[in-house]
Amino acid sequence: MFIQALLIGLWAGIAGIDQFNGLTHIHRPIVTGAVVGLILGDFTTGLIAGATLELVWAGMVPLAGAQPPNVVIGGIIGTAFAILSGQAPEVAVGIAVPFAVAGQALITLLFTAYSPIMHKMDTYAMEGDTKSIDRLNYMGPVFLFIFFFVISFLPIYFGAEQAAAIVGLLPAWLIGGLGIAGGIMPAVGFAMLLKIMFKWTYAPFFAMGFVAAAYLNLPILAVAILAVAIAGYDYMAQGKTPKAATAVATGIDEEEDYSDGI
Amino acid sequence: MGSKETVNMVNKEDFIKNTYNDPTIEKVITKKDLNKMVWRSLMLQASFNYERMQGGGWTFGLIPGLKKIHKDKEDLSVALLDHMQFFNTHPFLVTFVQGIIIAMEENKEDRATIRGIKVALMGPLGGIGDAMFWLTLLPIAGGIGASLSSQGNVAGPIIFLVAFNIVHFGLRFFLMHYGYNTGTKAISSLKEGTKKISRAASIVGLAVVGALIASYVNFKLGLVIQAGEIPVNIQEGVIDQIMPKLLPLAYTFFCYWLLKKGKSPLTLIGMTVLIGILGSLVGLF
Repeated sequence: MFIQALLIGLWAGIAGIDQFNGLTHIHRPIVTGAVVGLILGDFTTGLIAGATLELVWAGMVPLAGAQPPNVVIGGIIGTAFAILSGQAPEVAVGIAVPFAVAGQALITLLFTAYSPIMHKMDTYAMEGDTKSIDRLNYMGPVFLFIFFFVISFLPIYFGAEQAAAIVGLLPAWLIGGLGIAGGIMPAVGFAMLLKIMFKWTYAPFFAMGFVAAAYLNLPILAVAILAVAIAGYDYMAQGKTPKAATAVATGIDEEEDYSDGI
Repeated sequence: MGSKETVNMVNKEDFIKNTYNDPTIEKVITKKDLNKMVWRSLMLQASFNYERMQGGGWTFGLIPGLKKIHKDKEDLSVALLDHMQFFNTHPFLVTFVQGIIIAMEENKEDRATIRGIKVALMGPLGGIGDAMFWLTLLPIAGGIGASLSSQGNVAGPIIFLVAFNIVHFGLRFFLMHYGYNTGTKAISSLKEGTKKISRAASIVGLAVVGALIASYVNFKLGLVIQAGEIPVNIQEGVIDQIMPKLLPLAYTFFCYWLLKKGKSPLTLIGMTVLIGILGSLVGLF
């Protein structure tokens, strides 16, 4: 178990760096879940748990710099618990979220603690010392690595078996309830997306997407292709409208976009 | 502590001048330099903090260019300190601002103009980036990947990463060169294009979110009631007859309404867990 916890810790450290630097998105649950599955020897469960957690975090993105429950901790610990305790991926969501919320609070702390470094950088800037500015910037990811390593290693090394035992003691309605809540949970993520994106102008396209999936059972990719086709048509149709009219519309809509987006 | 801080601030403000010791304009930035700065842009949030946000990482990204442009040591120091101030934009679109700013630095525009353009660009790009990446590309790539992964297909994470990063790195490199080439002109072209791009992104994004709600929110009742002699399954017999996926849609909009009323996402998560547990306790599901 030590080796596995160590590997998961290392992986969490790398994913934690990627969440803020690099942003190749190997830190999303869909990837971290699969890797945790590989480490723990149950690749398929890792994939499935990762997919479930990915959708839960679909709307929990750092909009305008706000930090949502931490996706790295949620994805990695959630998947690890799903595999180690043998529970359904939906149950893992209920276990992952409290850890992710705690992780988010600690990251807020870390970013506050980093403020004084800026004054050090000011001094180096005035001296024209670019090497030292570089060095201070390289330190940030090192702190992130250590932070994510520790916070993933500890619960998995010390808690996995206990967690499995505790989960075994829990009554069926609680486990079942957590599973059901995990199934409903993506609604919260989608509601957060809608809060930023939804405007009545776009309601018809939303309705189209919903109907295509709910009634016609079309897969997501099919809906996305349809939507790109419509957006493309709309884009070209817009180009043909008289300049003056577009300009007026632009002014109004732009303001809305910014106030909503930021 | 307070007075010391003030002294520091005054010194710094005095330090940043509007003109240069060496105002000669020279084309020194090569394609290679721009690419180098693209790689450095990956570290935009390396020293992220709540005081200056990405200020340190932003300066880090510009360093190769600034060093080449400002051969006078004091000019370089002033430029570094100026860029070290508060900065925050979308991490995926930052290379566009970088390209424009480096073009302006190379052209030795006065510092106030450079600062003005930098600040004017960072906000709007934040909003556009959120719409393009967090609200469009990520849900689409994640949704497609997750639908494969949930069947145990290893292609899920691979397709997710490939799709995401083709767009991600493609844009990073393209925007750096595009920003640099258009220089200050890019600001007017951005204003024309913004609305159309953001409208197209919103159309695709909302259609996909509509489909995701129907596909992935799993909210079904298991309740069966006795209507006289006949047992009626509430989900299949009643709700599905009105509209399939009615509960996922209604619950999502209920959450949306609560968010609009200022409730925090954490409250909604707690509420959802409670609904699941209590509902399962009383046999609703």
